[in-house]
Amino acid sequence: MKILLIEDDKEISAHIVYALNGEGHEVSVCHDGQEGLKAARAGGHAVLIVDRMLPGLDGLSLVRQLRAEDNHTPVLFLTTMSGLNDRVEGLKGGGDDYLVKPFAFPELLARVEVIARRAGPRDSEPVRLRAGDLELDLIRRTVHRGGKPIELQAQEFRLLEFLMRNMGRVVTRAMLLEHVWDLHFDPRTNIVETHMSRLRGKVDRGHGTELIQTVRGSGYMLRAD
Amino acid sequence: MRIRFLRTEGFRLSALYAGIFAISVMILGAFLLVITNQALRDQILTFSSTDIAAIRNGYASEGRSEAIEVVQQLMAGPANSGFLLLQDRGRALAGNLPAMAPRTGTFEFAFSAGGQSREVLGEGRFLSPGLYAFAGGDLTRLRTVQARILGIMLDLFGAAILIAIASGALVSWSFLRRTDAMAKTCQDIMQGDLKLRLPVRGAGDELDRLAEAINEMLARIAALMENLSQVSNDIAHDLRTPVTHLRHRLERARADSRTPEDYRLALDAAIAKADEILGLFTALLRIAQIEGGDRRSAFAPLELGELLEQMRELFEPVAEEAGDGLQLGTLDKVSIRGDRQLLVQLFSNLIENAIVHTPRGTRITLSLLRAEGRAVAAVSDDGPGVPREEHDKLFRRLYRREASRSQPGYGLGLALVAAIADLHGATVRLANGGKPGLTVEVSFLLERA
Repeated sequence: MKILLIEDDKEISAHIVYALNGEGHEVSVCHDGQEGLKAARAGGHAVLIVDRMLPGLDGLSLVRQLRAEDNHTPVLFLTTMSGLNDRVEGLKGGGDDYLVKPFAFPELLARVEVIARRAGPRDSEPVRLRAGDLELDLIRRTVHRGGKPIELQAQEFRLLEFLMRNMGRVVTRAMLLEHVWDLHFDPRTNIVETHMSRLRGKVDRGHGTELIQTVRGSGYMLRAD
Repeated sequence: MRIRFLRTEGFRLSALYAGIFAISVMILGAFLLVITNQALRDQILTFSSTDIAAIRNGYASEGRSEAIEVVQQLMAGPANSGFLLLQDRGRALAGNLPAMAPRTGTFEFAFSAGGQSREVLGEGRFLSPGLYAFAGGDLTRLRTVQARILGIMLDLFGAAILIAIASGALVSWSFLRRTDAMAKTCQDIMQGDLKLRLPVRGAGDELDRLAEAINEMLARIAALMENLSQVSNDIAHDLRTPVTHLRHRLERARADSRTPEDYRLALDAAIAKADEILGLFTALLRIAQIEGGDRRSAFAPLELGELLEQMRELFEPVAEEAGDGLQLGTLDKVSIRGDRQLLVQLFSNLIENAIVHTPRGTRITLSLLRAEGRAVAAVSDDGPGVPREEHDKLFRRLYRREASRSQPGYGLGLALVAAIADLHGATVRLANGGKPGLTVEVSFLLERA
């Protein structure tokens, strides 16, 4: 997909371009806020990656401006660790996700993929999510595999729901911590792994194909094929 | 420098008091002048009317010659400083005043005699048509008295000004001497001698109170500086270790790696090491941000008990995998205002500590009790506990117990817990509670409903 990167640090932007190119994405780069706003207005990008601190026009104002002009291209904010309220501010300002520097490239790639999906044609909110013979009912809060009911705890349900909504895409540990548990720090214990292992025990054990797969060095992916 | 004291507060106050004193002296002087003027005039008029009465009596009993006799007697009298006149149709018969146009009643007039101008106050009367008598007193004496009063007042006024300047100079000199000493100490402190303190005289006056307040501030700053330099030392020291390890690994990888797989493994290890260093920085920055305290804007009402239940749900599988048990004790209903994300991080830290730093089979209990305007949330375990003398050290940044050095972590957990608690006006306490194990209590102050 075509991605616009607005980032003034030349070294970081070179690394990001390299990583995204490696995944087959086409990246154009702006090193200045005003320039970036112009390029974003021109359109044609699947995702914008915007640094919060930019010369010319800061990232938050840039995105607010775009949103005010009814431009809804998905935005991933990049930031150095600064104010604690930055994340909330960034999401309120129209960002779709937020990534704190320094970050691992798999984290960036996974988040870009996930927010790009949101730009796709938005069906009315689905009632059921399906992956192969796995079915999750969002209204009744029930899960079936191969027609047999599976009992899940509330947080296991949320975990599975997030995996299914992002079917076929890698979700990272940090994304799971943020979206399933609203945790925004790096825990010392393997919270994600243990919950995932319980979920797998209920969803995958005793079935022929493993739907939940571990992606080495990145995270997890739910695939139905 | 010589006129510097003119600009001191002490001198300004003295000048103000001197001004007030001078004005009072002037008001008093004016008052005295009015009073003496009135009193002397009254006295002259009393004497005058007595004299006139005597002359009149003389005339009434024995006629004109007796009136002349009385005038002459009065003029010879020892106490008489006044003036008398008796005249018949414009011709003076007796007295020591020049002839004048007769006027009745009390009045004053001026005349000159022997080159001296004089002022006279008195009473004039007709004894019979054509026979006129006047008795009066000298106003010049009054003028002399008034001039003397005025002179004394001026002397007092001058003395007041002089005393004010002298005392102002003295006060400001002693003030200046002390403030100069304080300023000099401050300059010495700025030069880098943070141990110096401002001189306190022990009199408990305003300068002493100021000096004491500044000294307390200096002590606080010194403590913070010491903490800061301690932390920077620790950081520098703690960072050297992982960075050195990183360097060693990279060196060894370059020397020993043969296959691409060898290189990949070495690089993975190097990346993990770099992540560890970045994590240390992130944790330090987070503490600094929380201590910076601009986070209260994110405060919202929340149920502490519900939060602890969610924490149990979150960590129960983790504890189970570590062979521990995580359970809920008594949970009172407690609502507070706080930052949910930070409180989640606080309790995560405490629960993770209990999971990571205890042997398998430890029972960890979360509880929440309200008592006496406070709510105490506790994370307790029945593990080996921590010796009491180490309790305070646990809150220090980058402090790690010998026993836990092999575990992952930066030694920042409890420092972060303390920072978050502090932001919420809560206190953190470690307790052994007489039982085996360690209890960490976070005590929130409840707002009065």
